Amino acid sequence: MSRALAEQIRTIPSQREPAYRPAMFIDDEERKRLAAKLGDAANYDLQLLRAMVAADPSNIEFRKALVSGIVSAEYAGIDAFSRKVCEWQTWPVPWELIMAMARQTWDEVRHAQLGTGLLESYGGKVGEYPDTLAGSPPNEASQAAARAGGIAGGGPGTDMMRDPLISLSVTNVALEGAALDLFKGTSELGRKVGDDLMQLVYDYNWADEVTHTAIGDYFVKALCEDNPAEEERALRAHAMFEAMRARLSGQQSEEIRTFFAEEVERGTAALAGSAAPASY
Amino acid sequence: MAVRIELGPCINCGLCRRACPTDAIHFFTTHHRTHVVDPAACIDCDLCVKVCPEDCIVPDAGYVHDPGELAEAKAKARSWAGVQLRTREQLRSRAAAAVAAVTSR
Repeated sequence: MSRALAEQIRTIPSQREPAYRPAMFIDDEERKRLAAKLGDAANYDLQLLRAMVAADPSNIEFRKALVSGIVSAEYAGIDAFSRKVCEWQTWPVPWELIMAMARQTWDEVRHAQLGTGLLESYGGKVGEYPDTLAGSPPNEASQAAARAGGIAGGGPGTDMMRDPLISLSVTNVALEGAALDLFKGTSELGRKVGDDLMQLVYDYNWADEVTHTAIGDYFVKALCEDNPAEEERALRAHAMFEAMRARLSGQQSEEIRTFFAEEVERGTAALAGSAAPASY
Repeated sequence: MAVRIELGPCINCGLCRRACPTDAIHFFTTHHRTHVVDPAACIDCDLCVKVCPEDCIVPDAGYVHDPGELAEAKAKARSWAGVQLRTREQLRSRAAAAVAAVTSR
């Protein structure tokens, strides 16, 4: 693939039919519709929705909202990983990594198919609920993590997450590692409420996410081999992602606090942004 | 007794670290990109064993706790359990309120 094509793909916005409609940008009318279905528009939250399904298994609308929220992220995953397949061909990374991203793209396609099928089994459809993720650019936590990883220039989110080391550390290891909880918990929820299909779909997704996390960890190690500065950069991005997520959920571990205290002690200038490596 | 992580199969997903009630599992501060258990802080509750997708957390039968450190770790775990319980209760309460709001419409 030529550099020109990779550059062209960078400029193409995320698209889907029906079009992405991020939850943070919905209008008052849609908030009212959400409130009518879920009690309050703010209840469109994956963790809370799982608790709502458990509290009232007879309410299919809660399940539709939960699965819509998750499947939205699967569509965003197709977008994100397929972009890496194209864009990383202009980076000095092993071809096996490009192949791994192609494999992950197809995994996300299957997850989207499974999630869409599950949603349709409830009488729902993609686009009925707003999107929890909407392709590029990456979310607030990912962007902060990328900044912490020290991407030259600190440009817009899509540029920061383009760096393979930061992207693998944040998306594959930190984010997909965290998603293991979501999938395991949702599969377990399916078992509890007697929803065999939900249990099966999310157990299947969980197994793939374990592989994605392993892929990420393998290639982060490979890209950082014998390069402590790069290893530190990947770790810093991962830590920042976890810290941001923890801040959003109101919980932060002693480990993360210790890590950043050590960072400060070392007087790191990382948050101001250091130069990205010329090659791996 | 405590547990230890077999580093070969570990994929650094961090589930064990986030599940640990005593913050006994370290990753960001090991400086070797590995998850490592501090046996002194481990109370052998097995929560990490249950969540590990790679089944790579095994008993460290050779470790013998000092009674003082074990008591300190258990106190930390009790405090953690209290926080977890409150968080779950809050979530259940919000869910019940949401169900009631929908039902009352």
